[in-house]
Amino acid sequence: MLTGYLAPTSGEVHIDGIDAVRNSIEARARLGYMPEGVPLYREMRVYEYLRHRAALKGVDRVADAVDRSLESAGVTDARRRIIGQLSKGYRQRVGLAESLLADPPILILDEPTSGLDPNQVRQFRELVRGFAGDKTVLLSTHILSEVEAVCDRVIIIREGEKVADLAPEESKTSLEDIFAELTASQSTGDAS
Amino acid sequence: MKSAWVVMRRELGSFFVSPLAYVVLTAWLVWNGVVFWVLTEFYARNAVASGAASPLSAFFGGSSLFFIPLLVFVPVLTMRLIAGERQAGTIEPLMTAPVPDGAIIIGKYGASIAMWCVLWLPTVIYAWIMSQHGTVDWGATTASYFGIFVLGAYFMAIGLLMSAIAPTQIIAAVLSFVALGLLFTVGIGEFVFDGAARDFCAYISMWGHMQSFSKGVVDTRYLVFDLSVAVLAVGLSVGVLKARRHG
Repeated sequence: MLTGYLAPTSGEVHIDGIDAVRNSIEARARLGYMPEGVPLYREMRVYEYLRHRAALKGVDRVADAVDRSLESAGVTDARRRIIGQLSKGYRQRVGLAESLLADPPILILDEPTSGLDPNQVRQFRELVRGFAGDKTVLLSTHILSEVEAVCDRVIIIREGEKVADLAPEESKTSLEDIFAELTASQSTGDAS
Repeated sequence: MKSAWVVMRRELGSFFVSPLAYVVLTAWLVWNGVVFWVLTEFYARNAVASGAASPLSAFFGGSSLFFIPLLVFVPVLTMRLIAGERQAGTIEPLMTAPVPDGAIIIGKYGASIAMWCVLWLPTVIYAWIMSQHGTVDWGATTASYFGIFVLGAYFMAIGLLMSAIAPTQIIAAVLSFVALGLLFTVGIGEFVFDGAARDFCAYISMWGHMQSFSKGVVDTRYLVFDLSVAVLAVGLSVGVLKARRHG
């Protein structure tokens, strides 16, 4: 909904002060989004895909933007490879590079580390932590240890309602306990 | 408009690196090669044939051999357009890019029209072959290609709409096949009914459409029909894409 993929049935969405329902395209231009599972065009080469996406996003200097985002996502060495032949970790990073193309102030990453091996997870977290102070990163995940490792602020949503909004560093109890307590009656929950 | 061009370029790029493109093109040319040969043979043996006046005008819509492959090839070409993206999940990055829904649809539609032109381009060689062995009415041939182009604008728009509606490529192909097959069959009612029903069927008849163009007659009624269906179907596709955002 934040990314404009779905329209809300009620309420308002503001992205960086822009009404994302009325000015959806403007709002989308300020977002970098990496959907769950990182869907990519498998038949394209990495740099072709990024060039295509940069053009679609109306980025001014496409070649520079592609080089820069390849660099910051750490996939420069795979730039000429075909996406369908890349490992999951690489594809994940190509997805991250894609979300960085337009140098957006806000990043939304949905389950960015699912399916990665422990080393890749660590690399990924370091990468995301590197954006601190520069970009707002919204991480949607079910892996609580990841939240504790990366996030400054945690919002737990249960059945569409915000049930907690806290800073993990300040809280004495572990996130896992809080989560278990909040979702005791129902087992559906989402941590952002 | 620039973003529509970006979408179109990617669509064509992906199509022409896929094996599907070459299977379709090869099958298409084999089919039409055989059809052209059979028609030429027929006219060579039967000097005075009824109906169409020359092998070329017979080739361009004068026989059902023109329409049968189209009912199959058009759905295969258009099924991927939106349903393919939906199936691969790539629809999500596409629809969250800062691009209007209209630009996505127009880009996809433009790509499908380009595929249609690529399909027909090699058939120019048949006209050239005929010109080596007899006289070719280039006016009628040009009108035929114009008719084919307009017919393509209408077929591809229907395929695009079905691809926007369908959850998977296969369903998109089946829906397009049914829609085009139905339109084709209703058009044949031209030869079945009388009075108002006959006029109605004649109006949407693909057969009548191509027969008129292949004789060099550019009938504006067919033109208006094709283009209005195309505009309607493309507009509806944009609507379908928008509606999908609401669940």
